[in-house]
Amino acid sequence: MGMNQNRRMACAGLVLAPLLAIAGPVLAAGGTDQEREERWQDLRQSIFGERPVEDGVGLITLEAPARALDAALVPLTIRIAPEQRDRVAAVHLVIDDNPSPYAARASFGPAGDPAVLRLRVRIDGYTNVHAVAETKDGRLFGTAAFVKASGGCSAPIGVSDEVAMQGMGEMKLRPGGPDTHGEATLLIRHPNFSGMQMNQLTRTYTPARYLDLVRISQGDQTVLELAGDISLASDPAIGFAYRPGEADAFTVLATDSDGGSWQESFPIPANTQ
Amino acid sequence: MRPATLLRRCALILLASLPLASLPAEAEVAEPPGLWTGPMVGETPATLNGATVIDVPTLEGMLEGPVLLIDVGKAARRPDNLPEDTLWKPVHRSIPGAAWFPGGGAGDLPPEQARALLGRIDELAKGDKDAVLVTFCKPNCWGSWNLGKRLVEAGYRQVHWLPAGIDGWQELHDAVPVQPQPGWPPEGE
Repeated sequence: MGMNQNRRMACAGLVLAPLLAIAGPVLAAGGTDQEREERWQDLRQSIFGERPVEDGVGLITLEAPARALDAALVPLTIRIAPEQRDRVAAVHLVIDDNPSPYAARASFGPAGDPAVLRLRVRIDGYTNVHAVAETKDGRLFGTAAFVKASGGCSAPIGVSDEVAMQGMGEMKLRPGGPDTHGEATLLIRHPNFSGMQMNQLTRTYTPARYLDLVRISQGDQTVLELAGDISLASDPAIGFAYRPGEADAFTVLATDSDGGSWQESFPIPANTQ
Repeated sequence: MRPATLLRRCALILLASLPLASLPAEAEVAEPPGLWTGPMVGETPATLNGATVIDVPTLEGMLEGPVLLIDVGKAARRPDNLPEDTLWKPVHRSIPGAAWFPGGGAGDLPPEQARALLGRIDELAKGDKDAVLVTFCKPNCWGSWNLGKRLVEAGYRQVHWLPAGIDGWQELHDAVPVQPQPGWPPEGE
């Protein structure tokens, strides 16, 4: 298939994506169910040990595009059912077929609200993506979505490393809209180099450099602590929910795998409750 | 491709698709005279002299008979500076039954690697220059074009190139994890 045709398909995808998501060929978990399930069980063992992951129906959902428009920037939304929120201590994200599958772990503090978590990730192949909620008493509840994407981990960033690193650590906070009351999105400028991205001309790999921790607090109360990995997309956007607190500002601390450290404060968006 | 770029390209293509548009269509990529040694990801030619370019439905028909599928997709490379405790479990999915030579599509393989590659393919083809061969990797990957070229030059008479690659296959079929061919890449590399 020529690039031209690919682009046309990608364009059709832009227009037809909502239709395709419904009308596309539905292969349960992409076909080789048993082998994919074996891989998931292997990953589960590596990440959670002997703890079983129970069916998360009614507790956790994962919204993912059936087909990624850009494999290096796949939006995911994890939701916890409102009546279950107080049970949930953390959410784990596993992209089964990524070489580094354990993409993120988000732990919620007293000022946090697990209701919603939005992340943008790299996806390397046609794969199951698992979102697992961990309750305060240590039980695990999972759900999965199948995403068609290709080459997200090694996709070049599109600009030189120097340009990609300009303004590294700069942050913005966007309040949620009228329908997303009590939510905000934190944007952090950071290339989040995967270490798998090759400069095609020099044929050298840009070393991995990624945000390994993002902590959002209200005063001395933690909202969210996110442990990240090379599977998070460049310039991470983290959508999160929070509970009204005493403090009038969010404090954000971000550190990366090279020892970079950045801190910022943002006024908490006006509360209409 | 980043969304902004994609949108720009889409805009261009939409314009180019209009009957009266004056924008020229994108130029076809010409076949290089020999193996391609430039960037391995990019637009590839529509043809491969001496070989047959096929799509997935054609391959489906061919699979009713004996076919040697050869995948030259790259193996995931563990970043040098990834912490030791990072969970690292690469998996390479391919067309069931395919022989995988990660990186075997490079245009500038050292001579001993090129010999090992052709030697192993000769073994798999049981020395039959009329064996039906299909090369593939991902879309926009010169590796499978190069291997096709190499096989034509080595005297194989039924070389097929599947430019849609594993992505095209996965639209409709299972892809299964495969391991690199035994002995590939040869020691010393």
